[in-house]
Amino acid sequence: MELLNDIKIALLPESIMVLFILLTVILSFTAGKNQQGAIFYISLGGVVLALLSILFTGFSPEKEVLYNSFTSNYFTVVYRSIILAGTIFTLFLTKDYVEGFGKSRGEFYFLLLTASLGAMLLCGANDLIVVFVAMETLSISSFALCGYTKSDRLSNEAALKYLVFGAAASAAMLYGFSFIYGITASTNLREISGFLSTYEVNSVLIIAFLFILAGFGFKISAAPFQAWAPDVYEGAPIPVAAYLSVVSKTAGFAVLIRFMTVLFPSFTIFSIILATLAVITMTAGNLMALGQQNIRRLMAYSSIAHAGYILLGMAILTTDGITAMTFYLITYLFMNFGVWAAIETLAIAAGKDNIDDFSGLGKKYRYFSLGLVLCLLSLAGIPVTAGFFSKFYLFKAVAVAGYEFMPVLLIALINTAIALFYYMRIIKVIYLKPANEIRHERAFNVAIPAKFVMALCVIGVLLLGVFASPVIEKSGVVNADIFSKKQVKNH
Amino acid sequence: MEFLSLTLLIFLPLIGAVIIFSPWFPQNEVKIRRFAKGFSGIVFIYSLFFLAFFNPMEKGFQFNETITFPGGKPWIEQLGVNIAFGVDGISMLLIVLTTFLVLLALIASKYSITKRHKFYYSMIFVLQTSILGVFAAKDLFLFIIFWELELIPMYFLISVWGSGRKEYSAMKFILYTFAGSVFMLAAILAIVYYNYLQTGVLTFDLNTYTYMKAFVYPTVFGILAFLGFFIAFAVKLPVVPFHTWLPDAHVDAPTPVSMLLAGILLKMGGYGLIRMNLQIMPEILKILSPLIVILGIINILYAAIIATAQKDLKKLVAYSSVSHMGIVLLGLGAMNISGVSGAVFQMIAHGVISAGLFMIVGVIYLRTHTREISDLGGLGQNSPKIMYFSMIIALGSLGLPLLIGFAAETLAFYGAFTSEVFSGFSLFNIYIPVSIQILTAIGIVGVIFTAVYVLWMFQRVFWGNMFDKWRKFHDASPHEMVVLISLIAVIVFFGLYPEGMTGIFVPTIDGIMKLI
Repeated sequence: MELLNDIKIALLPESIMVLFILLTVILSFTAGKNQQGAIFYISLGGVVLALLSILFTGFSPEKEVLYNSFTSNYFTVVYRSIILAGTIFTLFLTKDYVEGFGKSRGEFYFLLLTASLGAMLLCGANDLIVVFVAMETLSISSFALCGYTKSDRLSNEAALKYLVFGAAASAAMLYGFSFIYGITASTNLREISGFLSTYEVNSVLIIAFLFILAGFGFKISAAPFQAWAPDVYEGAPIPVAAYLSVVSKTAGFAVLIRFMTVLFPSFTIFSIILATLAVITMTAGNLMALGQQNIRRLMAYSSIAHAGYILLGMAILTTDGITAMTFYLITYLFMNFGVWAAIETLAIAAGKDNIDDFSGLGKKYRYFSLGLVLCLLSLAGIPVTAGFFSKFYLFKAVAVAGYEFMPVLLIALINTAIALFYYMRIIKVIYLKPANEIRHERAFNVAIPAKFVMALCVIGVLLLGVFASPVIEKSGVVNADIFSKKQVKNH
Repeated sequence: MEFLSLTLLIFLPLIGAVIIFSPWFPQNEVKIRRFAKGFSGIVFIYSLFFLAFFNPMEKGFQFNETITFPGGKPWIEQLGVNIAFGVDGISMLLIVLTTFLVLLALIASKYSITKRHKFYYSMIFVLQTSILGVFAAKDLFLFIIFWELELIPMYFLISVWGSGRKEYSAMKFILYTFAGSVFMLAAILAIVYYNYLQTGVLTFDLNTYTYMKAFVYPTVFGILAFLGFFIAFAVKLPVVPFHTWLPDAHVDAPTPVSMLLAGILLKMGGYGLIRMNLQIMPEILKILSPLIVILGIINILYAAIIATAQKDLKKLVAYSSVSHMGIVLLGLGAMNISGVSGAVFQMIAHGVISAGLFMIVGVIYLRTHTREISDLGGLGQNSPKIMYFSMIIALGSLGLPLLIGFAAETLAFYGAFTSEVFSGFSLFNIYIPVSIQILTAIGIVGVIFTAVYVLWMFQRVFWGNMFDKWRKFHDASPHEMVVLISLIAVIVFFGLYPEGMTGIFVPTIDGIMKLI
């Protein structure tokens, strides 16, 4: 009975996901070849149902369930919503893409939903073991998703690379956990935090933190754990790449925020480590993106750079910084999926994904490419788009955190100027270059799901750009909640 | 006066852009152009109403407007950001200049724009909205938004309809400006945080930092923030080490866009210098005024000397723009009423004159398809109208008395001469006894160079023997006549009667300088 009660007060979305995951598995075995398409609708229904259950039942009050191993509060509600929204976008992108997979379509949805389940559990995990299990659920499903196109060499390479990096990162993280357990003799985050609040920082704790950071850094593709991203994004099926760049990253940030706020809120040395990582990540991402010819690799580096910006919000260790991160992740969901929808459309049509293949798009598909341009400008941080506001809010949070962050802020600002160059390069190709000869012959229509995703993303980008205030407020409550338990030592 | 809404004025062009870009609007080139001209005419007339009801003697901003959202909330509560507009004497004139030049640029677009009309006219209107927004913004955040919004239409206007290395130039333009504005963003965040530390209020309201400023910034902090602002505006103005985007962008942009670029966009830099650097941090400007004056002198002389060596007509005009913007810096560095008034006057005078010069270059290029000065000659024989119009504009550019350029330059130089802002400055602990008067005297030499290159250019293009290939060079068409005559009317009228213009902005500057 206690389990049922737990489900009722905190775990309803996860339970719905589990139910539908089982349903997809059964259907993928039993349904005939021609009915495999139905699995798409089933899984979409499941994710939408889970999202609705979060939005309308409200799990905001702080609750710990399943023997204190899972926390449900407003923070997890917001992050689980972002993850589910991202999953919905991914599902729409898969609609046409999986046609090429032949008969085995059902398992794809099964893996996708499982990964999302892992990501959702990761947001609220309140126990080191649960963190690890959730992380592995997300990771292992992602490995399989990356290699889903079995006959594609690049896809295989992506899967293997992701697996090797992921396994190493998980191992390092687990090692870090063992240190924490060694210090505190507990796996429960609440108990650990109680112990650490009186603990003096020493080398063991720093080492533990660094090891744990390796695991999280891998998920959010922060330097120096970012090397897998370009190859994986290039090789993996496109919806999977989009999924990794948004959903998986959001989950990584969620768990990072939880660790920082619950376990280490008062250790300023971690702030320095995170700030350094953030600066390296954004600079490396932006500089590497400059020379890319392949749009997917470019987006990989761009997503690394964005991880750097978001990490900055964590590094300053203020409530405002976390508000900024959350808002940034919400806007990032929209702007990034818009771009990936366009990439997928082109890949289906042209079979290639070089930047030059976008040439002449602006003339043939005026509104679709206008949407793409808006998303790119939003990524670059040009007003009046969501990306501008999220960047500005983040930078404001960094500025208000203290003058010692001014150099970091300047580096971040210069980085945005560098980033503008490669985003403008794509826009240039879309509008200025004459249409590609090869693609000209094969006229194609933009698929309805891609159009739908693009429309949603453009609406999101513009609405968040013009009416940012309510959403910032929504992202803000998250953190007041977390920090009410424990005051961050604000220098 | 209720019908005068700044918000409406600013977003009216945007509405025009949406109408033109919408799929329901006819694809017909003529219809699009007519609609665009009519629409921008309405915007211009509407802006004239503001000028008519503007009271120069009133202190601070007028036509104030703050948009509140349901529940009396500001735009972004968490940031303390309001959608607030207002104009004073300086921005009022610049707004009218903007609407005026956009109208003329659209009239001039008939011959130079031959493709993708819908896109072109909607981009011009987006550009107009963003420029008007910069001039009317009463909130630092809003200022940044419009400042950066302007990049996108400008990028397309240069790179789609331009010529030569247009994509390179457009990218250079956008990267320079964006990189500059990044420093402004840092400076704004720094002063906002400083204010937050002092008063505990997070606000981006401009008046808090200018008219109602209750504190003095510490010197080192102030200098860094000042430089942050200055870099952004120095790129835009442009000031010499940051000017290299300008010749490229001007040369490769189509004629109407060059007119707007030189006529209005450079003024955003000057406006920012006055609004931010002078009004927010006058005490720092006082310390750094030798730097500003010296940069101004370098601008005047260096660009003028470079201009004399140009073979390309449009490049020559572009460098003359840089040279004239040096006078704005000089007037600003003088830190007195006549100096700053001269700077503002020079911005407006140059806005009109340079638009005229670029129009003439466009007129010639349209007929000859060359901009090499050595390829031209004797064009005046077939086209007396173009020649005489060009003569008046060229003379205005070199500062002939009774034309608008003379009034502006004289005021700025007079201000610099009578300034007591510094009689020497120390550099690396060495005191250099060079007063602003001496520097100004050096700068005035630039005026001679201006006369040299303007007259020389005019003589080589319009006089002398005509090449056979230009026999068919025909005189100005009605569209070109309208543009040139309107510009000349302004040049001559305010040259004869400068008080008509100074009466509007000098009281504002008087008020600003009294606060310092």
